[in-house]
Amino acid sequence: MIDNFLMIVLRRRFEAIIRDMVNALFKSGRSGVLNTAMDFSCSITDAKFQSISVAIGLPVHTGAIDLIPRVTAELYGDDMAAGDCFANNDGYLGNTHCADFTLCVPVFFGGRIRFYAIARAHFADMGFPTPTTYGADAVDRFMEGLQLPCVRIQKNYGDVREVVDICRANIRAPEQFYGDYKACLAAVRTGEKRLEELCDKYGADLLEEFVDEFQSYAERMTASAIAQLPKGKVEGTYRYETDLPQYPDGIPIHAEIAVDPEAGRIEIDLTRNVDNVPLGINLTESTTLASCRMSALNVLGADIPRCSGAFRRIVVKMREGAVIGKPRKPAATSAATSNLCSAFASHLHALYAQLGAGLGSAYSTVGVPASASVISGQDPRYGDKDYVNQILMGYWGGPATARSDGWLTYGSASTQGAVWQSSVEVSELQHPIIVEKLAIRQDSGGAGQFQGGPGASVTFFAHKAPVRFIFYSGSSRIPPKGVRGGSDAAPTGAWLERHPGERELLPNNGNILLQPGQRLHSDSCGGGGYGDPAQRDRARVDHDVREGWITPDFAARHYGAAR
Amino acid sequence: MHVAVDVGGTFTDLVVSYEDGSVVGYKTPSTKPDIIQGFFNGIDLIARENGITPQAVFDRLTRIDFGTTAATNAILEGQAARTGLIVTKGFRDVLVIREGGKEDTYNMHAKYPEPYISRALTFEVSERMTAEGEVLLPLDEAGVVQAILALRTEKVEAIAVSLIWSIANPAHELRIGELVREHFPEAQFSLSHEVNPCLREHRRAMSCALDASLKPLVALNVASMRNRLEQVGYRGKLTYITSSGGKAAPEDILRRPVYLCFSGPSAAPESGRRFAGMEGDTQGNIITVDMGGTSFDVSITTAGKLPMHRAGTIAGHIFGVPSVEIHTIGSGGGSIARVDAGGFLHVGPESASSYPGPACYNRGGTRPTVTDANLLSGYLNENFVSGGGMTLSRERSEAVVGEHIARHLGNSIEEAAGLITFACEQDMVSAIEDLTVRRGVDPREYIMVAGGAAAGAHAVSIAREIGVKRVILPKMAGVLSAFGILAGDATFGFARSLATTTGAFDTAAVRKALAELQAEGTQFLVGLDVAPANRHMRWSCQARYRAQVWELSLPFEPADLDAEDPGRGLAARFHELHRELYQAASEQEDVEITEWNLLAVGKLSDIKLPDISLGHQPQPSAGTRRAYFRDLRASAEVPVYGPLSLAIDQPVAGPLIVDEVLTTIVVGPGSSVTLSRFGNYVIDIH
Repeated sequence: MIDNFLMIVLRRRFEAIIRDMVNALFKSGRSGVLNTAMDFSCSITDAKFQSISVAIGLPVHTGAIDLIPRVTAELYGDDMAAGDCFANNDGYLGNTHCADFTLCVPVFFGGRIRFYAIARAHFADMGFPTPTTYGADAVDRFMEGLQLPCVRIQKNYGDVREVVDICRANIRAPEQFYGDYKACLAAVRTGEKRLEELCDKYGADLLEEFVDEFQSYAERMTASAIAQLPKGKVEGTYRYETDLPQYPDGIPIHAEIAVDPEAGRIEIDLTRNVDNVPLGINLTESTTLASCRMSALNVLGADIPRCSGAFRRIVVKMREGAVIGKPRKPAATSAATSNLCSAFASHLHALYAQLGAGLGSAYSTVGVPASASVISGQDPRYGDKDYVNQILMGYWGGPATARSDGWLTYGSASTQGAVWQSSVEVSELQHPIIVEKLAIRQDSGGAGQFQGGPGASVTFFAHKAPVRFIFYSGSSRIPPKGVRGGSDAAPTGAWLERHPGERELLPNNGNILLQPGQRLHSDSCGGGGYGDPAQRDRARVDHDVREGWITPDFAARHYGAAR
Repeated sequence: MHVAVDVGGTFTDLVVSYEDGSVVGYKTPSTKPDIIQGFFNGIDLIARENGITPQAVFDRLTRIDFGTTAATNAILEGQAARTGLIVTKGFRDVLVIREGGKEDTYNMHAKYPEPYISRALTFEVSERMTAEGEVLLPLDEAGVVQAILALRTEKVEAIAVSLIWSIANPAHELRIGELVREHFPEAQFSLSHEVNPCLREHRRAMSCALDASLKPLVALNVASMRNRLEQVGYRGKLTYITSSGGKAAPEDILRRPVYLCFSGPSAAPESGRRFAGMEGDTQGNIITVDMGGTSFDVSITTAGKLPMHRAGTIAGHIFGVPSVEIHTIGSGGGSIARVDAGGFLHVGPESASSYPGPACYNRGGTRPTVTDANLLSGYLNENFVSGGGMTLSRERSEAVVGEHIARHLGNSIEEAAGLITFACEQDMVSAIEDLTVRRGVDPREYIMVAGGAAAGAHAVSIAREIGVKRVILPKMAGVLSAFGILAGDATFGFARSLATTTGAFDTAAVRKALAELQAEGTQFLVGLDVAPANRHMRWSCQARYRAQVWELSLPFEPADLDAEDPGRGLAARFHELHRELYQAASEQEDVEITEWNLLAVGKLSDIKLPDISLGHQPQPSAGTRRAYFRDLRASAEVPVYGPLSLAIDQPVAGPLIVDEVLTTIVVGPGSSVTLSRFGNYVIDIH
């Protein structure tokens, strides 16, 4: 029997274990994506794949992380032993996208599996044909670099050498990969050790009982929050811009959300979405589910644990072979966490705004702007040493909500501000570039009673060596839209300046070799506005003009003359 | 006779060490906004208690050590000087962007924080250095003058100058300093490479912005203090407590006021170290906690070394200069308990603060707090609390705990109260684990020193939870930081940014930098009358592998430079340190050193508490009280002892309660308590 004291203490114990896992990964990660940006997440499930999560990590990573142990158990069944570790980057086997390297360790106690410890980290390179981490122009999955379809990478606590060697042979910076793999391993092994200690102290049966009770608690919280929502059904179509000739107006994104407060359920129907497209943007089951679950819980409140019990109340209907849903082979899913996925998650937030005043948010950034490119090349300062890394600058523009202006360093609906920013000095120390500008882009957030967060204006200068920039942005033709009377944000754009004063516009899908003396300019979009601009607090308008977030002209145009 | 002062939010604590070796703590209400008045009130109190005049106190005093919240409060309350910021063109948003991340990922309505210096007062100037210190773009001096004049028109009192890569080449920052002096001589200013010569533009700019913004106010405070001390004819020394917990002369503080961040609380770990030593600890592994009404502070001392870091923050602003690492969470007696829609109990972060305070204060508080729970659990003495003469209302506590907690959980008021206390302690346990388990430190090898009014109620339970076997509740538990101030050393940090590598070690330049640092450190110690035999210079440098992101602090001795290849020796030491911390090292790689640091330390005095065993008369227990013990999941009637009534050095087995003057000590079953000859309580957990 789990009494109130035990509930409190065991909840903290599980949360503490996940924090220990996160800490182990952060401290030992080699690439900037891990040791600065913190672009990774850790989690635990029980043997029934019920997740326990904490408020750290990326929403798109953790929302459906339970699929990983589920697939591992399906594939290996009884063929699992203590000391095993499984690596999975396969979007068809429960993973998010191929650049997310996910490790899963079965935790044994008393001769059977009681828990799974999972760590998922974004790697800057996974052996794509080009040095990038997203590969959004991949036509099919065979253009996505290395595939690890849930393979045993450790046995009896030692590396399975063949698997590690295959990874090292396919990945551009093998030493960085190996260091980052060890960091992920440190996380799952830390989780395993701590879970064993917990089983020792409290008994594994009691812990299983706790996990069940915790799921019921989360489910009760969710049901009672849904009971506060208006009953109703909302549906709508948003567009994702591409160059595919079959979708001149953009790929339609469709969702229908039905809220039943009495039953305490939200149903999301995605079955009317179009078929998979020959690009890397197709969603995976994992990112489709995570987007639905996390956006619903955003609306329901920060207090509810993001775990399986809560997810039981959010029912998702999806179809295999749909661009949003489960992919059908050989559709590519390499950009399944960022581009179409961000547009989709953003669309769900906007549909909630349509459901009732005070709910949801405006639309936010789609695609990763040029200022957050994966950059690669050789650094002449360090004997032409190779480098490949993602820099995270100016991926901003949070959407306005019913109660707040957009969060500045938001990123997209997939990351929601969880990712850290690169330092200008650290970036220049590690790569032969000069950042000439990293600034708020005036007037780029959508006007509204609450205003969208602005995007960034960023300029790079190649100093003493050529530098390759690869990015896959969006929001250039369809900027993030406002909701409930709020205005749209300014669109994204990127330009190459070969000679001073001559700018050429770059496509969303950019692959640029910036030569010494040349410049790359990136203007990223802001977030959409929420509510009627006429309702905006005048003091906020004055503040934003004084502080230079908006121009007096923008203020006059959207908010009228001083009242 | 010395006095140490710790100005807190509610009370100003003073500890006096008298000529005869006795040491006594005093508490007087803090005064706002004139915090110095609180100190003078404290002196009046000391005079009254000794039956002498305040003038006689000042005549006898030879040193005043002042821990002041002036800087911390100014930052917390946004009351520092109107300050302008000059930055490299393109980087006006260096303070706005911060370093990213979002504390509460799941709160979609979180408000984005305002920058410490507004964008409207931030001016860009055309100039640029590279990471290697080359001038990529010369300084546009006309533009600088324009910016300075604009800031003068804006009536700023201080200017912060923080340029990209000023740590690689400070020439442009230095020149802007000259131009400020020339064109706006009334303005105080700070240059980032001098305040905190670290990599990362945001944190360097933050240190610099805070430093500049504090200069006018700290100058006023120091002048006022000196002035008032002069009026009473005080002829002794005056020192201020810095972020690193040491003492520094007023001149040092005036030059670098950012070092006043956390002045006061920064001395608590020193106090923990002293009390542990007093009670026979020789390991120096100490968890020092301070439990007050609104916050819980924890710090970890390992092998006698105080924990230092460079990531201290106040109100979300990182101040970046070396400071004692103290982790603070908003858990305390005022934390409010509630039950959520799913039936789970939460305590905090909302607090009833000191007004209206807990429901039992009977001042209009309508929600249950930890103090209410403690009262119901028998952990408080209903008759005297905080010396304020306030009587507590048990009925009020019962009513709110019943209505808001027990009714929803379907349990008894007794158990509900036990749960509230427990949930609050779990947060405290997590705070300690953040600094121990998460860093590979095993708390079971530590002892705990617990101060603050709430310490006695919670310390033993928390210690048991994390596996600590011994808890010391010091005699000075109510004035923990003030005692640390009294007992602490004079210390101040000095830094130079100078980049070199161990492969191509620039011995001449390093020698020159160290000589300058040595001179500065010596001047500091001479200024505080530290005898040569008591002066200690602690050297370290900030080192990393090429293109690594986080530096490590590498200790060394100046004599190391006399070796044939000093770079090689330092590299070897760095590999060793790296392996120790991260289980890996890259022996083939060169090591980059970016910054050279000196911590000048002066031993001032050795404080001991007097032995109280002579003539001590133990008293029997004064009665019994019902108290809740969660190990039993029930209440029990336990003996209650009055202040200092236990026999010296005789362990007494729990369960029992000691009602001390400033705190109530709860000793559960399975523990024993001993009153030591220094008046400290030592609790052993079996």
